[in-house]
Amino acid sequence: MSKPEISNATLQVKESLFKRYENLTVLSIFASFVAIIVVVQLISTGGSRFPTFISPINIVNILQQVAVPGIVAVSMTMVMVSGGIDLSVGMLASLVSIVVSLGISQWHLGVGPSILLGVASAVVLETIMGFIISRTRIEPFIITLGGMISFQGIALLLSNSREVVMKGELNFLTMNLLEGARDPVTGLILRVPPYVVVFFVIALIGGLLLTYTKYGRRIYAVGTNPRAAFLAGIDVRNMRLSVYMIQGLLVGIGATMLLARINTGIITLGQGLEIDTIAMVVIGGTALSGGKGNIVGTLIGVFFLGSIANAMNLLRLPSEVQFLAKGLVVIIAVSAGDVSSQISEFRGLRREQAKARNVESTAKKGGS
Amino acid sequence: MDEILRLSHISKTFPGVRALQDISFDLKRGEVHCLCGENGAGKSTLIKILSGAIQPDEGGQIVFNGNEVSLTPRSALSMGIHTIYQEHIVFNALNITENIFAGSEIARRGLMQRKEMRRQTENILKYLKSDLTPDTRVSDLTSGQQKIVEIAKALVFKSNVIILDEPTASFSSSEIATVLNIVKTVKADGIGVIYISHHLDEVFEIGDRATVLRDGSVVSMYPVAGLSKTTLIKDMVGRDPSTFYKRERVKRGEVILEVRNVTGNGARNVSFQLHRGEVLGFAGMVGSGRSELMEVLFGSAPLVYGEIVINGSAVKQSSPKSAIQNKMCFITESRQTSGLFLPKTIAENIAVANMVNTRQFVMRPADDLLTGEKFVRLLNIKAPSARTRVVNLSGGNQQKVVLGKWFNTGGEIYIFDEPSLGIDVGSKQEIYKVMVDLLKERKAILMVSSDMPEVISMSDRVIVFKQGQIAGELTGEEITEENILTLSIGDRQE
Repeated sequence: MSKPEISNATLQVKESLFKRYENLTVLSIFASFVAIIVVVQLISTGGSRFPTFISPINIVNILQQVAVPGIVAVSMTMVMVSGGIDLSVGMLASLVSIVVSLGISQWHLGVGPSILLGVASAVVLETIMGFIISRTRIEPFIITLGGMISFQGIALLLSNSREVVMKGELNFLTMNLLEGARDPVTGLILRVPPYVVVFFVIALIGGLLLTYTKYGRRIYAVGTNPRAAFLAGIDVRNMRLSVYMIQGLLVGIGATMLLARINTGIITLGQGLEIDTIAMVVIGGTALSGGKGNIVGTLIGVFFLGSIANAMNLLRLPSEVQFLAKGLVVIIAVSAGDVSSQISEFRGLRREQAKARNVESTAKKGGS
Repeated sequence: MDEILRLSHISKTFPGVRALQDISFDLKRGEVHCLCGENGAGKSTLIKILSGAIQPDEGGQIVFNGNEVSLTPRSALSMGIHTIYQEHIVFNALNITENIFAGSEIARRGLMQRKEMRRQTENILKYLKSDLTPDTRVSDLTSGQQKIVEIAKALVFKSNVIILDEPTASFSSSEIATVLNIVKTVKADGIGVIYISHHLDEVFEIGDRATVLRDGSVVSMYPVAGLSKTTLIKDMVGRDPSTFYKRERVKRGEVILEVRNVTGNGARNVSFQLHRGEVLGFAGMVGSGRSELMEVLFGSAPLVYGEIVINGSAVKQSSPKSAIQNKMCFITESRQTSGLFLPKTIAENIAVANMVNTRQFVMRPADDLLTGEKFVRLLNIKAPSARTRVVNLSGGNQQKVVLGKWFNTGGEIYIFDEPSLGIDVGSKQEIYKVMVDLLKERKAILMVSSDMPEVISMSDRVIVFKQGQIAGELTGEEITEENILTLSIGDRQE
């Protein structure tokens, strides 16, 4: 009877404090962040006004801002769970925006074919990188770094280093789906454009794919232990290739959405997108080493990172502060999980020591 | 010849295991003293004590140059006791000079004295009659040449004792000759050499004395002159068979797997048949190429030549995927690096290999959990539930998860590579029982094992492997330690 008890105790040692709910750590940090901002706003207004940070209009604003990085973060999660990384998404998005805007305004291909051409070129370029990554032993970091630089070159060549202005041909992607709805707090018009919906649909599909399909399971297997995955009959190389293809598809879609908002194909469009999406994914608990992470965590990371800049604006802090805040959030969110598991390991050790002392003292009593 | 090193009454106990028991051993200057014994006889533990890597139990005595000493890695090196382990410890991206001086660079006021280091390296290489140049990158060398670099490193730092742990494993015959010549040069210079080799003919070629270890004790010590191989082998074997596991025998069925002239990944021209209901054991020394052959059979290493026939039809094993579809299973030697997904749950681990056989795209975690629970009960895996992460299980229970993963695929040909490596006695017995249960279900087992009692007690037939080839096959009463050992370390084949 006593034996299984001991083994159960040792089992608990290595589990984190939040063992069953992987996303709880980052969720609680996010919740406290929201609470702090709300409290600060309540104090500064003397409680006379509804905190604007959690007003519907502000939430919708945040959603509009995070939708495109959010879409890319979904495929970035898959890439990183498989053990890879992709630094090229920012420049690839810029390139897609230039291809689509050129297609519409200079090559006169029509809107649909131009979008298709843009998305297809993203898929092709990611496939090339994925092919190299999966067939060689070169680090994905290096290959996608090279990709990033070359995509910048292609984009600049195509656009002659100029911006490509459109006449609002993609406005259908930014129309308001909530025509006539008003924010009950401020009375301002609520805008929910289609790309916000697209983001949620993609996140849902991504989440289901990772958790409930054979394909998703295999991504985790490849990321956790590629050798064991290979010996379990998984085509590791093609799995690696496929996540980059999905990445290409989603970068293509995201870049088109971004272009619709700005109406101009320009090299700076995707600048920093890779930093933001990778930050979102790691805040959400995905490990750089692969095998760990999920879409729910990534969504929390997306909203968390997306709301920082917004909160800084509302608190009238200089915009420079937001970089510092973003950086700190990445560090805190990622360390929190590790700290919590170290604390529980320490507690487990204490429990074991106490148990050992008990055993020793009873043994002594028995002996004497 | 005067004595340089003497061990008296050295013992070493690991938790639950008596690795060495009352060992006495001595080494003279200018002598090659060979250590002989089976896998697990205690040779490696003895070497680790000499290199200071582990400390012996209280009560023994180590005398170096007439003074009693205690050995730590640092003090062993300062006394000039250099150990050259079986695995190469080299920095591939550095050249020979940099490798030799890595960690003990000659420097003046923080600046490296490259020319001086190069000069010393050149002298040593010349002394060893080697045609290597100091600037060659180590990654460009063969494994035999890398061994020379390691010996050169020991010599640069004024050695008194050099310990060579299987320096010639997996070498070509010309490389072996070079290494043996170097040992002779070193010996002539008054350095004491402790030489461990599975190749008995090397012992006879360069050894002055030979000490035989068995189960952690010294069995005998002979001068090599006038010694016969049979005497040595007789001393190396001799475990009491009554302590072996008693296995239930199962009636042998038709041929399920036939391997014809298989060559690749180090295996050469291997042919054998495997019947349903039998365990075909693969014995041989560590490094004889048995695991490499299994990789070829399982499709994880390329087949260069030959044919694999399963249930009467030739199959193409282009990848583990096709092997699994052909109902093969591979329980690898290192379950943590190639068998398990450690941070994942038992259920996820058990589900992973069978995905090859299912057509469905949607996988419900709840289904996997049910399957997982089934195997947790069936294999008596000690865990709170199938949701437990594999990393938290003991070695024996981890091995059972690996078995569950393969049973779940419905495989019929099981390759067990070192089935009981690093697991406790209780789990060992359970795994043996599971293996016999497989035979009763008319399945077949190929078992690679370096654990002699395991080979003898579990196998219906034994193939002895040596340097990538079949050295012989033993059946029934012929399966004895002596016969296996004679086949696996007898005369070297060219």
